[in-house]
Parts: sequence; structure tokens; C-alpha cells
Amino acid sequence: MSPAKERFTMALAGNPNSGKTTLFNCLTGARQHVGNYAGVTVEKKEGTCIFGEVEIKVVDLPGTYSLTAYSVEELVARNFIIEEKPDVVVAVIDASNLERNLYLALQVMELGVPVVLAFNMSDLARERGVEFNLELLSSLLGAPIVPTVGSKNTGMRELLAAALDTARAGRTARAPDIRYGQDIEQSLARIGACLDASSHKSADQRARRWTAIKLLENDAQVAARVEAPEIHQVVAAERARIETVLGDTAEMIVADRRYGFISGACQEAVRSTVESRHTMSDRIDDIVIHRVWGLPIFLGLMYLMFWLTFSAGAPFVDWLEGLFGWLRGAVSGLWPAGSESILKSLLVDGILGGAGGVMVFLPNIMLLFLAIAILEDSGYMARAAFMMDRLMHMIGLHGKSFIPMLTGLGCSVPAIMATRTLENQRDRLTTMLVIPLVSCGARLPIYALIIPAFFPEAWRAPMLWIVYVIGIVLAIVCAKLLRSTLFKGASVPFVMELPPYRMPTVKGMLIHMWERAGLYLKKAGTIILGISIVLWALTSFPRMQTSGPHASPEERRAAELSHTVAGRVGHAIEPFIKPLGFDWRIGTAMIGALAAKEVFVAQMGIVYSVGADGAKSETLREKLRANYSPLVGFCVMLFMLISAPCMATIAVTKRESNSWKWALFQLFGLTVMAYLLTMLVFQAGSMLGIGVR
Amino acid sequence: MTDVDRVLSESTENYLETILLLVQKSPVARARDIALRLKVNRSSVSGALHDLSGRGLINYEPYGFVTLTPEGTEIATRILRRHEALRDFFVNVLGIDRAEADEAACRMEHGVSKAIIDRLLDLSTFMETCPKVGEKQARGDGYRCREAAHSLEKCELCVSRCLENVKNRVGKGDSNKMSVTVLSELKPGEKGRIEKLAGAGAIRRRIADMGVIKGSLVEVIRVAPMGDPIDVKIRGYHLTLRKTEAADICVQKVV
Repeated sequence: MSPAKERFTMALAGNPNSGKTTLFNCLTGARQHVGNYAGVTVEKKEGTCIFGEVEIKVVDLPGTYSLTAYSVEELVARNFIIEEKPDVVVAVIDASNLERNLYLALQVMELGVPVVLAFNMSDLARERGVEFNLELLSSLLGAPIVPTVGSKNTGMRELLAAALDTARAGRTARAPDIRYGQDIEQSLARIGACLDASSHKSADQRARRWTAIKLLENDAQVAARVEAPEIHQVVAAERARIETVLGDTAEMIVADRRYGFISGACQEAVRSTVESRHTMSDRIDDIVIHRVWGLPIFLGLMYLMFWLTFSAGAPFVDWLEGLFGWLRGAVSGLWPAGSESILKSLLVDGILGGAGGVMVFLPNIMLLFLAIAILEDSGYMARAAFMMDRLMHMIGLHGKSFIPMLTGLGCSVPAIMATRTLENQRDRLTTMLVIPLVSCGARLPIYALIIPAFFPEAWRAPMLWIVYVIGIVLAIVCAKLLRSTLFKGASVPFVMELPPYRMPTVKGMLIHMWERAGLYLKKAGTIILGISIVLWALTSFPRMQTSGPHASPEERRAAELSHTVAGRVGHAIEPFIKPLGFDWRIGTAMIGALAAKEVFVAQMGIVYSVGADGAKSETLREKLRANYSPLVGFCVMLFMLISAPCMATIAVTKRESNSWKWALFQLFGLTVMAYLLTMLVFQAGSMLGIGVR
Repeated sequence: MTDVDRVLSESTENYLETILLLVQKSPVARARDIALRLKVNRSSVSGALHDLSGRGLINYEPYGFVTLTPEGTEIATRILRRHEALRDFFVNVLGIDRAEADEAACRMEHGVSKAIIDRLLDLSTFMETCPKVGEKQARGDGYRCREAAHSLEKCELCVSRCLENVKNRVGKGDSNKMSVTVLSELKPGEKGRIEKLAGAGAIRRRIADMGVIKGSLVEVIRVAPMGDPIDVKIRGYHLTLRKTEAADICVQKVV
């Protein structure tokens, strides 16, 4: 029995923070994948869900407040509906914030697709004493309404059933035609007639009306698709007429009328029984973004985040280190003692030593991503942007830039992708270019290696905090510099919602954390493994044929390493990095770090397991302590913090800025700055005798 | 006024109007009836009908019946609406005798723009239904009701609000002064009703999309720790914006 399954496409549209993603997770479970929309870099989530005999493809559209052509997200959402023609669109509505959410839903309906409204978080709205007459509201709005609670996974069956019915019916039976008032309607009729007379004639009345509305609203993208000059003339004349008759631009009148329609519908069908002026969320905000306590709490939370990442992760890291140590022992045990087998060296030193050295930091990375997920899902990130906007504004950026920068703490790649929320290109480029200065999770393994090696227990967390603060301060300085030189221009306005606080769901956080940790693991499994093998080869070949007159095995190994490609390159650049306090070993490791920052750790591991007596199981940290001063340790961290970001970052900058120019500018600009600053610190430190043992 | 409106002469408009009235009574109009109604001779009627038919406004064969084309119907309906609007205003609001009103309307209907007619209609409805007549709404809109649909319940609500306002003003000794200011000037805890959105372009549209629309109520909740963006409550949610943007939003302080 294998009946030809029906297939449907269902798109989820809604405001940011309407619980769209939670609903998406509920519907698709694990069957989802994340990609990009073709041509632009806005995240596209897709998943499937089986309902009875039907296979439904669920597409999560980007969260927007409107469907204008002013931001990439809005364009993507609306073009998806127009071009891909999903069988049904579910407009996800935060039931506790009805009017603004319906504003988007109304615009989706105007596109002429079958629409089902999901009143999400309806439990919350009821708690707040809001009573809906769903039947009346549904008939006023002309679309079926299904109450859902995403966080409790209720209402999903009903939602899917309603969506299927609507999709099968093809069109919503009586989708509302908002009447925009006599003057606007007259303009719409004239533009419509003009469209009919031209090559843009469309059989579908709703499509024609939509085009006319958008033209009247002065929508650049729709206008660009209309070639006939006479239509543009009519539109311009009508816009001028509306402005004289109604005293405002057509797009404002249209927005006004839409809200008017919604207010009318809500007045009839929604009743607020309890006058709740001060919600729980408001009470939290009274403390958390208090004029005096707000900033200390913010800095404290950041500190807590790093403490969680570093200190709470330590036992897990130790355990993983033990595991890899045991594995290395077990694998070398397969060969007789003292064997010079290339395969053994590859497995033990190259693969286990290299990739393993990076894998042990997975607990740190996961904890950091967990902390970021909590901040994002709870709604605190928007508060951070609110509090930091003044600062960001001073350096010519937008408070929203703060969120990508904060995400940059996790990884520069998603952070640079997150700059898409910035509407202004200058802001976006500036933010993109300075993001690598915000220390990413991949640099954490370097700090995690170096800080315990050189600094006493009590100093470790403050030290990490200092490194991060240096990065942030540098990012600010560079942004200001860029904004007042290369990217001059007025800064962008700040208009942002503060969503109500929500308890993050465990499922949501785990999905969030897993998506990102998965990326890290994938990197460790592919790029870093590959690089580890290449670097192992570089540090093993060419082999010395004759064992010269060396007194001890250590000297012999050191000489062997000098003989290899990596050694030669390291030696070659040693004169250049000497003023920074680095020797050729660090130089060799830094070359590897170009591929991915955490390779530095792997590389140091390989360099030292080759350069020292392998029989003694000293940990890498002890070797570092024996070979370098704390000042050098600090300089290494500083250099790795500032210098050229990893290849993935360069690649994503290229893609997001759409030019190699900015990617290369980022690569060389940061490296030169790192070189100069590290030299300054090392020279000053040496002279003043700070941290030189 | 549309282009067609402009090129039509007063007498052409009268012809169209008359034809429409005749057609409404019986399916077709005859040239004789038209001449009778307009008090002109038959020959000038047939000349005018030729002219109208040439412009595609009527269907007319010499010595045959006259009907209106869809375009002609549209124009004639508009003229008739103007006539009726003017006449009703004279009768209902000004209390003029019906015959006199009809005659005056006949002469005025050709020179009045659509916008004026619309406002006149609004005013008539307002005068007839709103018990608040006499309180001028300081919005440059003239006397008309802001609510599109009239229901007595809404009126009751509106009037009681109006009474409350008066009481407040009397209580404050602030008889007639409107406290119009901008959103950035309001202190945390103060409320205002949005009067106007200044500014331009994308940002103005974005703010409107977020629900900041003329007439909505807004309350300043707090100022950010470093003193700039402000947090306001509008339509039941929290919106943040910088003081520079808030300075473009005119509000009337609500006590």
C-alpha cells in the first residue's frame, strides 16, 4: 500500500518574536535544514512534516513587520510568496500583540494567497485577560483562525488540518478587500485601468490590485518591473493628487487605513477583561534596563557568560583530554616501542594530536553557544541593543550592530551573516569588517591553552575578560575610524521592538546550540583534520636521511624539524616576528592558524611533540611554560585576537559584501594592525620588565 | 477633477445628466424628451447628441433612441451625485426650500471639485449625526467624524470622552490651550496622542509600519541608561527609538 502521497508547500510568515521559529520546530521536529535564499544571504529554513497521507514542505520565511521593499528580509518573504506560490501561507500571530501582528498578516492576504492565521501564544493572551471572539474575527478578516501554543506543542493538528483545507480550496473563500477610502480607491482604479491597457494586464484581479497598491505606495521594486512610461506618469499624478487632497503621502495613508481596518476589527471581536498595565516583562525591565543598574547588570551577565564558558567547562575539557591521551596511547601501542613508522606518526601526532587538540574544546564552545542562545531566546539581546545604542551611535553604528558583534563572540561567520539585519550598506560593511576583532569561539582554545599555562588560578577569568575587552575596544575604535573615513555618511535610525521576555524552551536552545556546535564539529572534522594532516606532513618532510653527530635525542629532533618545510618557513619569517617575541615555532603555528584559528593549538601540539622527547608525557602547557614568558603568552593571544581572521571569515565577508576588495582589505588591514600592536606591547613590556619571568 | 471633467462644457454635462435621469425612468431616452426637459429646441438637441456620440459618451442614431455608454454613465452619475450632494446640503443643513435648492445646485454643480463635494458630504453626515457639533477638531479636517462607521454606541462613548475632556480642562484651569509637543519631549510616565509624523522616506514608513499612526496613544516608559534611545509603549508593545526620530513625532499630551 503506497498511495501517491499528496504534497503541499506551506510557508510560515510572521513578525520577529511571534514564536514563528518555535512553531516551525514543533511542526518539523528534526526534519529540517538551514540554507540561504538564492542570490541573497538571508537564512532559509526548510523542513517536512507528515500529516495523515500528506507530505507538507514547511518553509520558515524571514521574520518581518511589513512587506515593503526597504529591507532584504521583507523582499525575500514577499518574493517567495509571489514567485514560489506556496499552497498555503500560515501567518503566525502573537495573540498578545494583535494589532501590529495583524498588520503583516493583512499584507500577506493582499498578495492573494490562501492564508490561515495561527494565533500563537494564545494561552499568554488569555492569562492577560484578553478574550477573542475567534468566529467573528475570522469572518471579519476572511481567514480561518487556529489558536496555538508553540511552547507547549498544542494546536498543531488543528493548524495543519485548517491549512490543508484552505490549500485544497485554493483560495480563501472571502479574503477581505480592505477599502482604502474613496480617494485612494479612485487612484487604484485609475492605475488598475492603466495596467490593464498595458502589457501588464493580468487575469487575476487581486494581483492587479496588489500591483496598483504597491505602485501607489511608491514601491521601488514593483515600479522597476513596470516599463510603460505612461503608467509611471499616472502613478505620479495620483500620488500628487492624494498628497494634496489627503495631506500626506499615499504610503502613509495606506498604512493608516490598514491599521484603521485592524483597529475596527479588534474593537468588535476582542475584549480586554483585565486592565493589566504592568506585566511580568515590564517588571523585569524595571530592574534589568534600569537607568543605573542596567549597565552593571549587562556587564555582569557578560562576565557570567565567560565564567560559564571557561570555568564550568573545565572538568569536561579535562575529561576529553584524558580520553584523547588514552586513545593516543592505545594507538601507539599497536606498534613496537621506538618504531619510526610514518603511519603511526600520522595517526598519533597528525590526526589524534591535531584534530583531537581542537575537539577537546567542544565543551567550551557548546557552553558559549548555550549562553548566547539563552540571551537571544529570552529577549535580552534586544535590551542589550537598546542599552548599547548610544555607544554604537557614537561610533556611527546602529544598536542593532551590537547583536552581530555579540554573536561574533560565538563565531565570526554567523555574525557576519547576521549583519543582514542592518538596512544601511555603510553600517553593514563597517560592522562586517570589525566583527573579527570581537573574539570568536575558535580563538577560545588558544586562550584556554595559554592562560592556564602562564597565569595563576585567580588571574584566569579576569585575564580572559581582559582579552575580550581589548577586542571589543579595538572593534569600536576601528568602526569609528572606518565610519569617519571610508564609510562617511549619516547614521541609520534606530527603530526596534523590545519583545516580552520569554522562558527559552529547552528544545529551542538545544536546536540552537546544536546547529552551531555542529558547524564547529564539521569544521573540526573536515577543514581542521585536512589542515592537521597537511601540517603534519609539513612538519615531517623532507626527512633527514643521515642522523648527524647530535649529542641527545632532543637535539636530533629539533634539527629534524628545522629541516622540514614548516621549520624552514618558520625560520624564514623568524626575523620578522622576533620583535613580537615569537620564535619560529609560534610562526609556524600562526601560518596554520590562517586556515582556522583553533589550528594554532593543534599546530603547537604537533610542533612540540616533534620537538621534544615523545616518551615523556608532558602536557603542552608545561612545555609552553618552560619555553616562553607570560609576556610572550599574552602577545600570542593579542596577535591571534587581532590578526587575519580565518579563511571561512574571509570567504563569508567576500560573499556578504559581494567583493574581494573588502575581504582582502579585512585580511591585510587586521594583520598589519596585529603586527604593530603586538610589537608595541612586547617591546614596552620587555622594557618595563612586566611578565618576563 | 479628471481630464474628462475638464473638457466637458456646462451644457454637455447638463445633457448627460438629463439623459441619465430619463434612462433611469425608462430604458431609453428620446431626443424629444430631452428637448422638453432642458427647454431647448430640437435642432440644437440633435447637434449636441451628435457631438456626445462622437466622443463615445452615448449611443445615438438620428431619429432613434439615446442610451449612455459605460463611460457616459460614469460621468453622468458623478454629475448627479454632485447635484444631489449640493441640494441635500442646502435642504438639510442650511434649511433652504427644495425647489430653490434644486435650482441653485443645478447652477453650482459644474464648478465644484470632487474634493469639495466629498467634504461637503462629510460635513452633512457629521452635522446630522454627531451631537458634539460645535467642537472644532483641530486637525485641519473641518467638521467631520473620524470614525468611518456611525453607530450610536460609538457616539455615546465619544461624547462621554468629550465630556471628560471638558471636565479635565475646567479642573486644570486650562480652558482652551492644546499642549502639542514632540514625543522626545515627554518624560517617562507621560502619555500622548499622535498628531503627525514629520520626517521623510523609508524611516517614516518604517515607523508607521510599526503602528505609530495618527491618533494612536503612546506612553514613554523609560530612557536608556546612557540617555538616548527611549522605550515607548504603543499598541500594547514596547518600541524603542532614538530621540532624533522621536522629535519628528508630534503628539498631544494626554493628562
